[in-house]
Amino acid sequence: MKRAMFVALAMTLGSAVAAPFVYPAAWTAEQNTANKRGGEFRNYTISDFKSINPFTDAEATSIPGTMEAGAGLFIQDPRNDELIPYMADGAPTVSNGGRRFVVKIRPGMKFSDGQPITADDWITTYRIHTDDKVGSNSYDNFFLNKKPITVKKIDNSTLQFDFPQQSAKALVLMSYTPWPDHIFGAAYRSGGAEAVKKLWTLGTPANQVVSPGMWTLESYQAGERTVLKKNPYWGEWNKDSRGQALPYLDRYSYRVTTDLNAALAAYLAGQIDTFGPRNADDLAQIKRAIDGGNLKATLTPNVSPQAQSQWITFNWNKASDPDKQRLFRDVRFRRAMSHIANRQAMVQLALGGLGSENYYSVYPIFKNYISDAAPKYRYDLAQATRLLSQIGYTKKNAQGYLVNGAGKVLEFNLATNAGNTVREQLGRIFADEARKVGVKVNFTPIDFNNLVGQLTAKGENRPFDAILLGLSGGDNIWPFGQNVTPCGTNLHSYNNPTSGACLTPQESLMTKLYYQGDATLNVAQRRAIGAQLLKAEAELQPVVYLVGGNYHVTYNERLGGEYSREMMDAYYGARNIALTFIK
Amino acid sequence: MIPFLLRRALQAIPTLLLASLLIFFVISLAPGDFLTPAKLNPNISPEQIANLERSFGLDRPVWQQYLLWLGNMLRGDFGLSFQYQQPVLGVIWPRIVNSLWLVLLILVIFYAVSIPLGVFGAVRQNSLGDKSVNVVLYFLLGFPSFFIALIALYFIVQARFATGLDIPIGGMRSENFAELSPFRQALDVAKHLIVPALILAITDAAGLTRVIRGQMLEVMRSDYIRTARAKGVSERTAIWKHTFRNAILPIVAGIGGTLPGLIGGAGFIEVVFAYPGITPMLLNAINTQDLYLIAGFTMITTVLLIIGNAISDILLAVVDPRVSVS
Repeated sequence: MKRAMFVALAMTLGSAVAAPFVYPAAWTAEQNTANKRGGEFRNYTISDFKSINPFTDAEATSIPGTMEAGAGLFIQDPRNDELIPYMADGAPTVSNGGRRFVVKIRPGMKFSDGQPITADDWITTYRIHTDDKVGSNSYDNFFLNKKPITVKKIDNSTLQFDFPQQSAKALVLMSYTPWPDHIFGAAYRSGGAEAVKKLWTLGTPANQVVSPGMWTLESYQAGERTVLKKNPYWGEWNKDSRGQALPYLDRYSYRVTTDLNAALAAYLAGQIDTFGPRNADDLAQIKRAIDGGNLKATLTPNVSPQAQSQWITFNWNKASDPDKQRLFRDVRFRRAMSHIANRQAMVQLALGGLGSENYYSVYPIFKNYISDAAPKYRYDLAQATRLLSQIGYTKKNAQGYLVNGAGKVLEFNLATNAGNTVREQLGRIFADEARKVGVKVNFTPIDFNNLVGQLTAKGENRPFDAILLGLSGGDNIWPFGQNVTPCGTNLHSYNNPTSGACLTPQESLMTKLYYQGDATLNVAQRRAIGAQLLKAEAELQPVVYLVGGNYHVTYNERLGGEYSREMMDAYYGARNIALTFIK
Repeated sequence: MIPFLLRRALQAIPTLLLASLLIFFVISLAPGDFLTPAKLNPNISPEQIANLERSFGLDRPVWQQYLLWLGNMLRGDFGLSFQYQQPVLGVIWPRIVNSLWLVLLILVIFYAVSIPLGVFGAVRQNSLGDKSVNVVLYFLLGFPSFFIALIALYFIVQARFATGLDIPIGGMRSENFAELSPFRQALDVAKHLIVPALILAITDAAGLTRVIRGQMLEVMRSDYIRTARAKGVSERTAIWKHTFRNAILPIVAGIGGTLPGLIGGAGFIEVVFAYPGITPMLLNAINTQDLYLIAGFTMITTVLLIIGNAISDILLAVVDPRVSVS
């Protein structure tokens, strides 16, 4: 009895001294001053949910992914991209040459079942993610350059992270979501990876699912609707700027609409609260509904570029065709190809005017890493012609195609994945413009899986000329791709010989700068390295970047608490859901 | 009856074996596999992809994968879906049930529309009514059902704007479903089902109406109908008892094909109306090359096709005394 009293006292004291995380008032353009609470944010997803288990889940929009909102040692401030302590009680103590981070956990945090969140939860989560038998999608996040990151428990509220090398992304890598040790740890210790995989399937009753974050599962209906409810314990350590518990909402729900037209119809009918307009047609329909007074909503087109780009890569490993190999390896040829790309027309015709021109591997949305020192080879057919004549293509044949001294036509095959209408249009525009200067581009959409097989093939003789494709994903901390920039990585698409060696000094420089920037903790220094890397890459022009779509925001008027217009973008989104409320 | 069923069961074994072989190898012929898109993800390393290949069994030769799958299937295990990481049957079952409701309603409307219209067309051949029914049905038949569904969706939204009525747009249940009484729940589901069911049933009805009309006309001209009429049976008996019963024999013979159709779902209508049936899931499985999900589902449909054919043979024997199953 005495002991119980003591525990109860300790717990009240514990939660009393625990300093909550206070959401800055500037994180919302509209304060919840009327003190509205409750209600449901009704979202949608275009694919059925596949899993509730955070260790086997691999979807873009997922149930565990939604429960992860509001859990993690550090979070990024959308105002300045800085990482601030969140589940961490303060800034980490860094030692061992920037490779060891010791972090105190914020006291008083609890899972949705009321159990306290302790260092053990982070350790168990780390162990399960790094067990290759589990097949977790986060597996790679615990390795740097193939060397493992280690996580150790100092005491119940202190964690120590040891990195094999310095990393700019250290705080991000440390910010994985801790899942309950009393559920996953117990299963893992008794039954290993298999036992973990069997937990939290789609058949698991919702009340057995436990979340550390803002939301926890309330109900799941296959292919239809999933409802999450707020985790009441989360509000104990998450407060708004006036000290009130968050989130304001009671529920967050997803409706599954495989067909985007059905999602649009549901949005127009006021049955869901937000929609991601794809094109001018979607925007026009929403605008008409708003203007007609049928839909009370806010529509902001072209908020920012999307974090994605479309590009053309040329194959430098074509031993079977030395002429083409020499051509693709010639920087003048690749610059000429960039001059041929009519990005303005691509934005207008393929993206309906709702897109942005791309010149670098860094998406234009990551403004802090775009520097003016890096050259842009803009649309300029005269320049292209001049560069091609320098390579020896001065004469045209009867069909109007450029030929070299031996009479060989300047031509290559360009492939993209069939069915992607935007890429098919981009390819046609590129081929048409190329025709104007006398370059014959044989453009063929082919099967996606074939295309990926060709792109990721290694060797001295890889099976393609040029490929038009796109990539997305990445962050604004070090926005160069770890699988893309360094030589020998699997998406270093232009040059991938068996040995994985760099071919040009610029490539070696880019590889060096990539790892150097990745290991630089100081933001200003890292951005300076990024500027050098961007310049080297733009001059080498190994990949011709074309265009990317724009991000549009629309939401139902019943919602309040969105970001101010300057803070919204494709990376941070339109709102922090914790500060969102129903008017 | 029993020997007939036993014989059918025996015949089914080589059929199913061959079907399983075809299904598995045809799917495997497609380039790439479930993990291909992951190779384009800058955040997934080649080591991790090799890891996943090993744990999914994708690194083994196709014939080994097939034998393993076949062996498990004989024990009632259709394998794990790659995307869902859980048994195929567990993924498919709730969707089959959902599709079943929709398709049953479609069937009821389908027969309720096409039988009377077909009979009417035959009895009042070339009348104004017959012609106008034909025109409307042909018009509907000419459009793909998903396109009509998209148009319907547009009009539902406009109707909601105009009247403020709560007409469901897609899905199967309302948000407050859990709070409704069982009777209201049934009503709620029916409300969601009716528009997609009507669209599909009516667009499909054109074909069957034509068949029934043609069959009826043929039978009506036959000697025994003339004899029956001469004997003085009423017009009603002549049409429904003598003509109709003989005219629908080919249709009964085709009923066996509807059983796999029942669990096969209502096709693109389900996609357009965001209905949680089998088609959206299957399309997604094909897109992502979720091998065991596609193969398992196709096997189940094949089994049902065999059972359906047996049932339709039995039904035929019931309707047509000249046919005997034993």
